[in-house]
Amino acid sequence: MSLIRLFCSIYLIFAHITYLKMRDYPIPDNELQRLAALKRYNILDSLPDNAFDDATKLVSYICGVPIAHISFIDENRQWFKSEIGVGVSEVPREISFCNYTIMDTKMVEISDTHLNETFKNDPNVTGGFNVRFYAGVPLTTPDGYNIGTLCAVDHVVKELDDNQRNALSIVAKHVMAQLELGTKNYELYTQRKIAERAVLAKDNFLANMSHEIRTPLNAIIGFTDLLDQTDLDNVQQEYIDNVQIAGENLLIIINDILDLSKIESGNLTIESQPFNLKRTLKHVYNLLKVKVQKDVEFNLYLDADMPDNVIGDQGRLNQILVNLVGNSLKFTQEGEVTVSVKRIEENENNYKLRFSVKDTGIGIPKNKLKTIFERFTQGEESTTRTFGGTGLGLNIVKQLVELHKGEIHVKSELNRGSEFFFFLTYKKADIPKTPVKSISKNDLGSLKILLCEDNVLNQRLVRSVIQNFGFELDVASNGEEGIELLAQNKYDLVLMDLQMPVKDGYQTTDYIRSEMNSSIPIIAMTAHSLVGEQERCFKVGMNGYVPKPFKQSVLLKAIKTAMTEEVDTKRKRIVDFSFLDEMSSGDEDFKKEMINLFLEKIPNQVAELNEAFKNDNHDAVKKLAHNMKSSLDIFMLEDLSQCASIIEEEASKNQFSTEILDKINILHCGIAEVVKVLKEL
Amino acid sequence: MRIILAEDNDILRKSLSFFLESKGFSVDQFSDGKDALDAIENTDYNLILTDINMPGISGMEITQYVRETLQSDIPIIILTSSGVEQTELDSFDLGANEFIAKPVSPAVLLVRINKLLNKRV
Repeated sequence: MSLIRLFCSIYLIFAHITYLKMRDYPIPDNELQRLAALKRYNILDSLPDNAFDDATKLVSYICGVPIAHISFIDENRQWFKSEIGVGVSEVPREISFCNYTIMDTKMVEISDTHLNETFKNDPNVTGGFNVRFYAGVPLTTPDGYNIGTLCAVDHVVKELDDNQRNALSIVAKHVMAQLELGTKNYELYTQRKIAERAVLAKDNFLANMSHEIRTPLNAIIGFTDLLDQTDLDNVQQEYIDNVQIAGENLLIIINDILDLSKIESGNLTIESQPFNLKRTLKHVYNLLKVKVQKDVEFNLYLDADMPDNVIGDQGRLNQILVNLVGNSLKFTQEGEVTVSVKRIEENENNYKLRFSVKDTGIGIPKNKLKTIFERFTQGEESTTRTFGGTGLGLNIVKQLVELHKGEIHVKSELNRGSEFFFFLTYKKADIPKTPVKSISKNDLGSLKILLCEDNVLNQRLVRSVIQNFGFELDVASNGEEGIELLAQNKYDLVLMDLQMPVKDGYQTTDYIRSEMNSSIPIIAMTAHSLVGEQERCFKVGMNGYVPKPFKQSVLLKAIKTAMTEEVDTKRKRIVDFSFLDEMSSGDEDFKKEMINLFLEKIPNQVAELNEAFKNDNHDAVKKLAHNMKSSLDIFMLEDLSQCASIIEEEASKNQFSTEILDKINILHCGIAEVVKVLKEL
Repeated sequence: MRIILAEDNDILRKSLSFFLESKGFSVDQFSDGKDALDAIENTDYNLILTDINMPGISGMEITQYVRETLQSDIPIIILTSSGVEQTELDSFDLGANEFIAKPVSPAVLLVRINKLLNKRV
């Protein structure tokens, strides 16, 4: 404080020497805090703002004056946030009238400066702005600091009436409110940034933790599985069973946490795939039958009218039911647990079904019924100790049901039992899903498989499992090694870990597909199991996806699927020359000429089509698709010709739906395959 | 027998010409409707085989010009990949003799050509 004063005094002495007419100006007692308060608003040297300009205009209108301004006073200048008739952006503090206004708590009004002792010799009165009339209201912060002023100035003598004075004070208050709002907005913005960073950190943490936990768990569950298949005595068998149950429970908990984070981030989507509803329910029943306590009867009632096949998310229905039924079985010591499903509505497209899980268990107290679906809530605090559980299950169930646009309710009476029931609407399935053709292990013959995986435990686990299947396995510790092995030997399939040093699974797959031009089936094996990862795997060209810890049956199924699909695509891309043969009447040279013409034209046309599509050039897309269709017909590529037709049709309507991008991609890929086949002739 | 073939897809046009030539026809081929029409005006053809969608002049316009302006009753076969019924109706309306949907079966095309040419003989 005294330092500032000292500084000011020294400065003023110099000022006096330089400008003889310069006068001393008062400095508020709380100058230091006042300046700090001003800094808080970050208003100095900010860009023009309509809100302030409007307020300045208002002052000019209200008082009928040619000069009005909103200004802020810092150590050595008066800076104009907004002004009318001033014409400069700042003036040195020593020539500012407002030095007096910020000393006051209320408005300073000088009707005639010529009659005012303090101002009559002021350079801005005798010259400069020719100030004759001055009215200034201090801009006071909520904590009482005058950081600036709102002023009306005229060249003639004037006196404001009470309404005008009142209005000026009100405008000043609004200006201050505006400033406050600005700082509040800025604070909110910073808070939001902090919150967003925290959410991101949490997501990353969850992803990493789940990865870190899943990797060793993968080894535990996998090796236990293998150990279980060896000769064990009774005691050992019991130990192994316990380890298995504990491992699986741990996995459920991790999956619950992951699911919650996915639901929270909006990354969990409900699939629409045809599935067999009755079989799903029986599967859940069989799965949980083993957990039924000896005095409990476990029933599954299916309504006779219930549809066999529907379109929806089988996995999530499974999850909901396993959770609810698991709970009921856990909390029921005697009596019965009944799962029933009823069709309650049917229209042209949908079935509405009521699923119910009813038990004669411990029940839920009335006052807990409302909160039972909340996170980390169980009926009683002691429940966790007696029955275990994370308290996440019902919350996930509720969110899953709601993601299905369904609703879930609970009825319960303490010590009598509970009923959880929910309603889901499923689309009707047109065609009953053809059962997947099951291939026995032998159908695949002896496969030679390459595993790219850096974790030694997992390498050993996969090796044991693969050898159990009767296949041969080579192991690479990273993508780079994998590529080398792939270049040297012939493999039927690659199992690819995603997180590896040197080259990760994505990069390796990309290299195999684009550099090596190999279409060898690749199955991703990952402990991540995060949303979007699966899509990313398929995008980069992988054929399958197995989350870790993996079940042997799941891995085998993925291998079978990948192997049979491979065969299918190969079969699909056999080009049929019968049309061309008929045209050429068996003339091989002519046939060859036509093939060369096709090879020469079609890749360019694909590129042009892509380009035209990107540029939204409907006409060009239409013409290209039309022309390509004729070429594709000659090689009897019906599916691709169909694509071209759809593209042409859509383009004639001058609009592109999202389907078109898909069709263009299919066309693109299909043609690439055909070109490859034709070039190899 | 001399046939004019107007089709903008190179592979299809060349294949069709090759096929028809192997069956003993003489074929003049054009990928542009305008060029085809010029040839029709200056040459004595026995049959016109034309695609609808082509750069320059469409097959419909060629048909219309031949019937209305040239007042010729030369057999005209229109090829098209359009599955729209109206296209077929319009073709006949303008005076086309045959309408063949793509993909064109060479055998069917040959039968139709022969039928049209024999009728005139």
